[in-house]
Amino acid sequence: MPDKRILEMKGIEIQFPGVKALDKVDFDLIAGEVHALLGENGAGKSTLIKCLTGVHHMDAGKIIYDGKEITPTSPQAAINMGISTVFQEINLCQNLTVAENIFVGRLPMKRRHRIDWKGINNRASELLKRFNIHIDVTRPLDYFSTGIQQMVSIARAVDIKAKILILDEPTSSLDENEVERLFDVVRELKKSGMGIIFITHFLDQAFVISDRLTVLRNGRLVGDFYARNISKIELVRQMIGKDMEQIFALKRPTVAADATNMLDVESLGIASKVADVSFTLKTGELIGFAGLLGSGRTETAEMIFGVTRAEHGTIKIHDREVRIHSPLDAINQQMAFCPEDRKRDGIIGDLSVRENISLVVQSRRGIFNPMSIKEQAELADQYIQLLGIATPDAEKKVGELSGGNQQKVILARWMATQPDLLILDEPTRGIDVGAKAEIQRLMLKMCAEGVSVIFISSELDEILRCANRVIVMRDRCKAGELPGESSRQEDILHVIAEGTATGEEA
Amino acid sequence: MKWKFDSQHILKSKITWAVVAELLILLVCLIIRPEFFEISYQESTGMLYGSIIDILNRSSEITIIALGMTLVIALAGTDLSVGAVVALSGAIGLKLMRWDMSEYPTAGNYSVTPLIWVFLVALGICFLFGCFNGLMVSRFGLQPIIATLVLMVAGRGVAQIITNGRQMTTNFAPFKFISQGSVLFLPMPIIITAVIFILMVLLTRKTSFGMFVEAVGINPRASRVSGLRSSLIIFSAYAITGLLAGISGLIYASRIGQNDSNNAGINYEMDAILAVVIGGTSMSGGKFSLAGTVMGSIIIRTIITFVYYFGVAAEAIMAFKALIVLVVIVLQAEPVREFISKRRKARKTAIRGELHG
Ligand SMILES: Nc1ncnc2c1ncn2[C@@H]1O[C@H](COP(=O)(O)OP(=O)(O)OP(=O)(O)O)[C@@H](O)[C@H]1O
Ligand SMILES: [Mg+2]
Repeated sequence: MPDKRILEMKGIEIQFPGVKALDKVDFDLIAGEVHALLGENGAGKSTLIKCLTGVHHMDAGKIIYDGKEITPTSPQAAINMGISTVFQEINLCQNLTVAENIFVGRLPMKRRHRIDWKGINNRASELLKRFNIHIDVTRPLDYFSTGIQQMVSIARAVDIKAKILILDEPTSSLDENEVERLFDVVRELKKSGMGIIFITHFLDQAFVISDRLTVLRNGRLVGDFYARNISKIELVRQMIGKDMEQIFALKRPTVAADATNMLDVESLGIASKVADVSFTLKTGELIGFAGLLGSGRTETAEMIFGVTRAEHGTIKIHDREVRIHSPLDAINQQMAFCPEDRKRDGIIGDLSVRENISLVVQSRRGIFNPMSIKEQAELADQYIQLLGIATPDAEKKVGELSGGNQQKVILARWMATQPDLLILDEPTRGIDVGAKAEIQRLMLKMCAEGVSVIFISSELDEILRCANRVIVMRDRCKAGELPGESSRQEDILHVIAEGTATGEEA
Repeated sequence: MKWKFDSQHILKSKITWAVVAELLILLVCLIIRPEFFEISYQESTGMLYGSIIDILNRSSEITIIALGMTLVIALAGTDLSVGAVVALSGAIGLKLMRWDMSEYPTAGNYSVTPLIWVFLVALGICFLFGCFNGLMVSRFGLQPIIATLVLMVAGRGVAQIITNGRQMTTNFAPFKFISQGSVLFLPMPIIITAVIFILMVLLTRKTSFGMFVEAVGINPRASRVSGLRSSLIIFSAYAITGLLAGISGLIYASRIGQNDSNNAGINYEMDAILAVVIGGTSMSGGKFSLAGTVMGSIIIRTIITFVYYFGVAAEAIMAFKALIVLVVIVLQAEPVREFISKRRKARKTAIRGELHG
């Protein structure tokens, strides 16, 4: 097959106030290849994409697309040229239906300017069936989970007739089956000669699907490699300049034999969402929650934290029953909850990093006991250091940070409250390998200091690496409980698939 | 580098554009008629006079309301009822002072009720009106426009009922003092506004109320998860606004010396919203600037004074206001701002290119 370059970007430079986001970066794409774009948080991956799609303007550089030099002006213009994008943050309208979201901006018309609603709904469900998703497309989008929403935005991008498809961390909210289905579609598109740019922090996925890998670090090009010529270990070294063994040397928390019960959850549930979940958590223990998307993990966490109110069941903290009707109640019980959907439940985009990090500490102190700007700044700087948040200073708007760094800010917000119980819902989503290890290390360090942690994750290896016990959720109820030390991924998958655990205790 | 960062900061600051606009208008005045800026001192009243003082003085009724409205708008709401509350406040005040109106229909130099009670009752009821708005929006989740529309319509009706549809007049000196009197050579309304402004700044910036308002305005869900009591915060903003509209209403009643349920506070809600928006607080909620709001209110009044001063027909005022609305909204629109910043960027790169090439 002759190499047909459909895209060449040369010497791209973009300067943001205080950061050089891209510094003379070259990138090219061949028709019919999947080209992964890798790098740490804040390396400039999304910025490169936004430059190609006209969201940001480049200060220097050239883009040659299909043999002609272009200056993209807006994502819509890019779509018209045949460049279709799934952006990192889900960019859909929550109050429109699924079908409307897929066709917004290009609604098929019947004769005389009438919208063909029936056609739209049929086409939308057909399209989603290709991804093996069978849902009612006439429901508003916010009815569905983040994973489904992500699939909808992918379906939308795929449906656009395009020569280039860009996927910026499309798999962050997807489970393994969904990722597999996405890859099937990607392979199909690839065969038809489309060029695909794939950004991810899941290196395994990058190896499975891509032909070439380009690595960025701190806005500079490190190099591009053929996937078959480079090992994962080598790739990580290129990305962060450190060895993988070194960063993943983690130790599971040891729970003292006489550890007291920190949390005791007894048949907690909401009729329409989660059925009777019960478990206990000891001081200093780390429990992992595994399961597919929509299996009830997030819902359970939200009930414990008072985001949604449980209809029945009890919560005991240190063997004393407590009533938790709102997040504030939970915060007052020394709980912290880092939510799954950072854009919706986490970041307050227009406020600064400093304000975002101090928010919960401040809300616990109350309106009339304000922290001074100086105190806030000290707190923020401490966590910027600790988590390695890439930002020129604490006054930058959180909305302007890279996705992974926003995630770290949310994490900092909750760690700053120095909780006794920390609930982390997919905390390492969108975070690079180095930072992922760093966050796991911090989590384990907190356990060692006596904090109990509930750790929800779709990545089984990270759960197995850290957890003392693993609770597996399936179809909105608890399907089993496994010891973390001696279980393997297959054991968890078995419970997810069959709904029974071999080593069940509870 | 340092300077560049600062210039960026100043350009982005919300109040900068409002100050620039005000200075531009004043510059036009200066060119056409320098006397516009004359300020004189009058022994008899112990007060300063002049167009500039007049602008500050007469803008205060709107400024006071707009300070509360700033919080409401920062929370992504609006309060349409403030104009009606202005009328209501005056009606209650006059009714309490001239309980005896039916027996002695002339404008009297006395008050039947002690003045302190006049103020407390009038303001208390306006505060309750604000609480009602707050409850509708925060507890019952009504859309702010709809929720406050109720009192916008009902408020004047209540005022009519209280006064039996009559206009009552007063010459009671202590009551007239809050609009005509002076302290430190300045008219009372300016003093009252300054005090309220300082209190509001203290309330929002010396407690964490301001930050919480902004957080709830930007992302209510995330704020709730972070433990903020968003409904309480929303409720307080409307309640404060009701109280401030009441204060403004008393100044109004004092200034014209009577209550006027039909005309008092007409269009005040629009002017207050306009002042907030000119001041740089976005209607979609989020970051707010109280100083910007004061500036916005002053700009509106400057234009009105300008129009009167140069003998332009009063009917033209509406057209002028429409013009500012248009300019402000266009300048704040995302595409325009992007265009401006791209132009700046393009120009900078061009200059850099020249230097290097
Ligand atoms: N709109 C913006 N304004 C100012 N700075 C920005 C803006 N967008 C991105 N940046 C900065 O540019 C740098 C690169 O960000 P980018 O989003 O491209 O990172 P990324 O590689 O996509 O990271 P992640 O994996 O976390 O998504 C970061 O330092 C970020 O703070
Ligand atoms: Mg990114």
